[in-house]
Amino acid sequence: MKDVAIEIKNMSKSFNIYADKANTLKERIIRLGKGKKEVHHVLNNINLTIKKGETVALIGVNGSGKSTLLKLITKIIYPNKGSIKVRGKTSSLLELGAGFHPDFSGRENIYFNASIFGLTKKEIYKRLDDIIAFSELGEYIDAPIRTYSSGMYMRLAFSVAINVDADTILIDEILAVGDQHFQEKCMNKMKELKEQGKTMVFVSHSKDAVEFLCDRAVWLHEGSIRMDGKTKEVLKEYTKVCG
Amino acid sequence: MNKFKEIYNYREFLKTSIRKEFRGKYKKSFLGVLWSFLNPLFQLLVYALVFPFILRNDIDNYTVFLIVALMPWTFFNMTVIQSAASVVTNGGIIKKVYFPREILPISTATSNLLNFLITGIIVIVALLVSGVGIGPSIVVLPIIVIMQYILLLGLSFIFSSITVYVRDVEYLLNVFMMLMFYMSPIVYSADMIPAKFLPIFKLNPMFHIIKYYRDILYYQQIPNMASVMLLFLACLLILVVGYLIFNRLEKRFAEEL
Repeated sequence: MKDVAIEIKNMSKSFNIYADKANTLKERIIRLGKGKKEVHHVLNNINLTIKKGETVALIGVNGSGKSTLLKLITKIIYPNKGSIKVRGKTSSLLELGAGFHPDFSGRENIYFNASIFGLTKKEIYKRLDDIIAFSELGEYIDAPIRTYSSGMYMRLAFSVAINVDADTILIDEILAVGDQHFQEKCMNKMKELKEQGKTMVFVSHSKDAVEFLCDRAVWLHEGSIRMDGKTKEVLKEYTKVCG
Repeated sequence: MNKFKEIYNYREFLKTSIRKEFRGKYKKSFLGVLWSFLNPLFQLLVYALVFPFILRNDIDNYTVFLIVALMPWTFFNMTVIQSAASVVTNGGIIKKVYFPREILPISTATSNLLNFLITGIIVIVALLVSGVGIGPSIVVLPIIVIMQYILLLGLSFIFSSITVYVRDVEYLLNVFMMLMFYMSPIVYSADMIPAKFLPIFKLNPMFHIIKYYRDILYYQQIPNMASVMLLFLACLLILVVGYLIFNRLEKRFAEEL
C-alpha cells in the first residue's frame, strides 16, 4: 500500500441545488418547510487507485464530474459517501492566482500565493529565482500586478504553482495559459516533473496534451467511470463515442 | 492533533495573511498604518468630551478612566465584526485552493491583537502623562490580554463559520455590539450599575474583562485571581466550542460560498 498516492473507495458526491438559494435569515424563515431543493448526483460510487509516479488523465464531456473529482481530491469539498485518501503533499492547479492581491508587486504576490500552497519562507526563498525566471516577467516582477496584462498574470500564477514541490500535482484545464511559446514551456515542465516521479492527475479536453503527458486515462461519464486503461485505448473509444 | 501540525506547516500563509490584514487595510490610504492609532484616538476624543462636559460626571482623570477600557473594547469590537466577514470575503480562494480554513479567523484575531498592542502605547503614554502612573499590578495584565485573545479566537471561529450559512449574522452583530458596548463598564464605572441588574451584566464576559483592565491600570489593584482563573477557563471553553462548530461547518464552505 506504500506506493499508492491516491485511493478513492466507494465515493459519491451530490450537491443540493436550490432554485434560489436562501442566504439570509428572512428567506430561510419564509421558505421553512418548503423543501424546494433538488439533489444533483455528480459522482456515483467511484473507485480509483492511483499509484505513486503515475500520470493519469481524466477525460469526459462537460458536466461528467472531472473537476468535482479533482476538488474532492484536494479537499476543497468533501464526499457524501465513501472515502478519499491522499498521501504526501498535493498541489492543485485548479485555478491560478489564488490569493493574488492586485496592489502588491509580482514578487510579493509570489510569497502570498506560494504560502497558500503551504510553503515556508525558506522554501519560497529557495524557489524565488526559478519562479521569476520561469515567468519571464523580467523587470515587471516589481510592478503591482494590477498593471499586468492577463497573459502576464497567468504566467506568474502558473510559475508559482508549478514550482511548488508537491508529491501529487492536480491540474485542471489550465494550459490555455499565455501564448504558444509559454504553453509549450509548461508542457515540457510537466513532462520534466513526470520524469522526476511526481504523481499527476490531469484534466484536459486536449487529446494531444493527454497523449503527450499521460500513460493512463480514466473516462468519466455521467458521474461514473466508464473506462480506465492505457491512454491510447481509452482515447480511441472516447473518440468513437463522443467524436 | 493533526490539525495543529497542519496549521504549523502553513505558518508562512498564516503570517502573510496576518500581515495582509494588518497592512492591506490601510494600503491605499495616505496615512497608512497610522490610522490604527488615529482611529481609536479620535473615538477617545469624542467620548472624553461628551461624558465629562456634557453628561457631567465626577470621575477623576476621566480620559484615563475611559482609555484603559476603550482600547480593549475596540480590540473586541473590531475582531468580532471583522471575523464575521473573514471567511465570506475569502470565498474566492476557498473555492480555488485547499488550506486549513482555520487560518482565516486566526489571522483576523491575531492581526487585531497586534493592532491592540500598538494602541497600548497610547494607553501607557496616557497613564504616565496624566500622573496616574503604572503600578506593580501591571504584572497581571498579560494574563488578561491572553484571556481576551482566547475569547476572541473562539468567537471568531463561531461567527466566521456561521456567517457563511446565514449572512445576516454580519449585520446582526453590528447592532448587537452596540448593545454590548453599553452593557460593558466602558464609559461608566461598574459600581454605577443598579444591584438588581448586575447579574445580567455579569453574563457578559467582556463585562469582567473590561473591569479587570480598569482595576489593573486605573485603580492599580490586582483583581481576585480566583475569579480571573475561572473566567480564563470559561474563555478556553468558548474556544473549544468555537473550534468544534467551525470544524463541523467548514466542510461545506466551498459549496455555500
